[in-house]
Amino acid sequence: MKTIVLLSEAKNPVSGRQQPSRLEAQAIGLAAGLDEAPQGLHAGSSEEGVAAGLGHGLGGLDVVETPAGDDPLPALSAFLRRAFAGDAPPALILCGRRGEGGLETGLVPYLLAEMLGLPILADAVAIRPGEAPETLVVDQAMAKGARRRITVRLPAIVTVHPLAPPPLPFAFGRMRRGEVRRHPAPAADAPAAGTLAGERPHRARPKLMRTAGTASGGANLHVGPEPEEAARLILAYLEDNGIRRYGPA
Amino acid sequence: MTAAAFLPWLIVAMVLVAAVQIGRRVMLWRAGKTARVDWLAGLKALPRRYLVDVHHVVDRDKSASRMHVPTAGGLVLASGLLVLGLVPALAASRVYWAFVALAFLVMGAGVVLEVRRRYPRALPRLSLGRWQRLPVHLGVFAAGGLLTALLAALGNPLPALSFVTFLAAAAAGLALAGTAGTGPMRHALAGATHLVAHPRPRRFDPASQKGEATGLRPLDLDAEKLGAETPADFAWNRLLAFDACVQCGRCEAACPAFAAGQPLSPKHLIADLAAAAGGGHARPYAGMPYPNERAVGGAAGLDAPIVSPEGLVHPDTLWSCTTCRACVEECPMMIEHVDAIVDLRRFQTLELGAVPMKAEEPLAHSRGCDEPNGRPLFERTDFAAGMSLPRIVEKGEAEVLLWLGQAAYDLRGQRTLKALIQTLNSAGVDFAVLGGQERDCGDLARRLGDEATFQRLARANVETLSRYRFARILTADPHALHVIRNEYPAFGGSYDVVHHTAFLAELVESGRLAPASLAGRAITYHDPCYLGRYNGEVEAPRALLDALGLERREMARSGKRSMCCGGGGGAPSADIPGDTRIPDIRMGQVKETGAKTVAVACPQCTAMLEGVTGDRAEVKDVAELLWEAVEAGRRTPAGAAPARELQPA
Ligand code: SF4
Ligand code: SF4
Repeated sequence: MKTIVLLSEAKNPVSGRQQPSRLEAQAIGLAAGLDEAPQGLHAGSSEEGVAAGLGHGLGGLDVVETPAGDDPLPALSAFLRRAFAGDAPPALILCGRRGEGGLETGLVPYLLAEMLGLPILADAVAIRPGEAPETLVVDQAMAKGARRRITVRLPAIVTVHPLAPPPLPFAFGRMRRGEVRRHPAPAADAPAAGTLAGERPHRARPKLMRTAGTASGGANLHVGPEPEEAARLILAYLEDNGIRRYGPA
Repeated sequence: MTAAAFLPWLIVAMVLVAAVQIGRRVMLWRAGKTARVDWLAGLKALPRRYLVDVHHVVDRDKSASRMHVPTAGGLVLASGLLVLGLVPALAASRVYWAFVALAFLVMGAGVVLEVRRRYPRALPRLSLGRWQRLPVHLGVFAAGGLLTALLAALGNPLPALSFVTFLAAAAAGLALAGTAGTGPMRHALAGATHLVAHPRPRRFDPASQKGEATGLRPLDLDAEKLGAETPADFAWNRLLAFDACVQCGRCEAACPAFAAGQPLSPKHLIADLAAAAGGGHARPYAGMPYPNERAVGGAAGLDAPIVSPEGLVHPDTLWSCTTCRACVEECPMMIEHVDAIVDLRRFQTLELGAVPMKAEEPLAHSRGCDEPNGRPLFERTDFAAGMSLPRIVEKGEAEVLLWLGQAAYDLRGQRTLKALIQTLNSAGVDFAVLGGQERDCGDLARRLGDEATFQRLARANVETLSRYRFARILTADPHALHVIRNEYPAFGGSYDVVHHTAFLAELVESGRLAPASLAGRAITYHDPCYLGRYNGEVEAPRALLDALGLERREMARSGKRSMCCGGGGGAPSADIPGDTRIPDIRMGQVKETGAKTVAVACPQCTAMLEGVTGDRAEVKDVAELLWEAVEAGRRTPAGAAPARELQPA
């Protein structure tokens, strides 16, 4: 199953040096279970940190050379569109879930899914091919250690949760042998869609002391209920959690 | 024609058979990588290497040297004489046969001594199987030869008997020659050739420092394959070295990992490496198994991976080693186990990324922020807040550059460093530290096989050091000492590195410090492997302890033959489980001396020995003991009876 792992620019929290993101290294580890030579994809100005992904198990690395500070989305989506149109389209795109010291927002996987029209599934801790062709079974991590098993139709984008298995140890020889393919950035025509994030000072917010738990998973998962039944279940859920207080309907 | 007349031809036949067998082995060695060997110098040095260096080691076990000298001497002498017997005139002389008989008699005497080591029960470290049968073959050969020659010397009174004795000698002799490629007798030629073509000729050079022959060699990071995966990846003279092993088990008896029940025996490992090239063990290995042996597939061959659950050696075996070099120190055949282990680790780490999961974390930190513990470099001097600790950036130069090492991040190590810094200040030493510019020396990464990270750190440190002027580097960490002194020169940095024990001993000797006597207290000193065995420094710390008036009791294993604390070579990071822990064993040996304090000279040893639970001796760095004495000296006026009853021993 052809798998692409998106790599971001991460920095070592202690030294500030560029390094591969741990979460993405874990994603490579997951990908290696599906694809003998998963490929990495990075858009940015330097490959210093991401090249180490080759040492963690990538079979090759595509770097779209965009100027420092530029939005990587257009470059990534253009590259992936071309890949999907090619003769060996990727089946799965794995990503981390947040920036680790670079300029990331953590939104890239979602925006990319939107632009490419792909389903996206967050927080995978394990993946394996589904029984039906072109499907993937994903174990999704939820709050309080709960897990949920979901089958998605491929191609899809999946983000990886830190509780996924630790990354394959780094191997210098693998990195040295790995192939890095550099691509020029696509002509900057379309301005990035929907990423006009503003900046404002940080405001401390009170900590959330109580969360609604993992009620969305486990025993509360109902597949294809009757509309009547579904409505009753939702109302009961809202009552139980103190969100709606009208007494039993 | 008498039976004795056939003896010379028997020798010729034995030589021919052995030559064919060894020739097959030579073909295997040739499959190894090329190595630069100075044959002429090696040949010239052979007698000295054999008679001095090898004998020095063999003679530690008197029963071995006493058995080997007559056995080998008699065998060579008898064979040599018998070849002369091809001259008809000589063969007709009864005096000649008397000499031959004498040579066989000498050999026979040696065999008797060998038999005494093995029967009725062999020493546990010895191998059984073919090794146990070796004295039988040798004995029959010697006895047969002796009787045949003796009868010839007496004028051949019993021709029938002499034919019987000759046949016995012939059978045993040909059996010996037939196994010269894979059996015990392989050690003779392989051992001699190994001495000539030894990969580390410096270790035999009495003029060179011990450290010059113990530092690891840099790996070419652009090479096709990094490290050793298969037998063919070893240099040919390393393959030769494996073949030289006599399975005497001295290395095994000294190995701390073996003693702790971890799945490592250096003897078994060398036997496996020797067997790997030829496609596996010709006969089942007859020594003690790896403790808690892990099952392996046993696949072998010149191009088959050695270390793998399917191969001959399980990865846990490789990662159990503390690189303490006790095996190398004990090996009479001068085999370099640690080099082989590090070569194998390099492949596992660099090519496969197959380091034990727990060891990956310090390696990742070393890659990411230049410190295996993941702490910022600028925090290295935090422990010394409030102390006078000059940075070299501010001074530009200093007499002594103090290399702090990892101990600066560890609460226990900091106590030692504080004592050292206070001592330096009170002696008025002009010193400074690199502070936030000091990176890890790279020892851990290198011993775990991560040569790429080591080389990066080494180059960066050499570059930093080149910016400042200082006369010497002082460190309290023998690992840093070894790496900077012996392994950095390959990266362009040659420094005069001194260990704190030697430096402090100098200060005391030259009168710059006036420590009070700590007499009345018994201590024992634990030699750090990287100071004692790797660098031959065993006297300075003892001189210093003696100068403090301490009653020094030696453990059974001390000096260059000391036992490891278990902290080296990344073994604590790899953390391969065993039956017990190495520091517990060492602490038991401390206890046997009755000393209530064990003096140490390495932060790793301190950490390992302090990690021992229960009732145990107190662990004190030599620097701490000295500082205690210096402080006591300040309190008591000079000249007043300085003996202090600190603690009844
Ligand atoms: S490696 Fe050396 S010490 Fe160990 S068994 Fe072989 S010859 Fe003896
Ligand atoms: S270096 Fe030490 S731990 Fe490693 S095999 Fe030799 S004796 Fe054992």
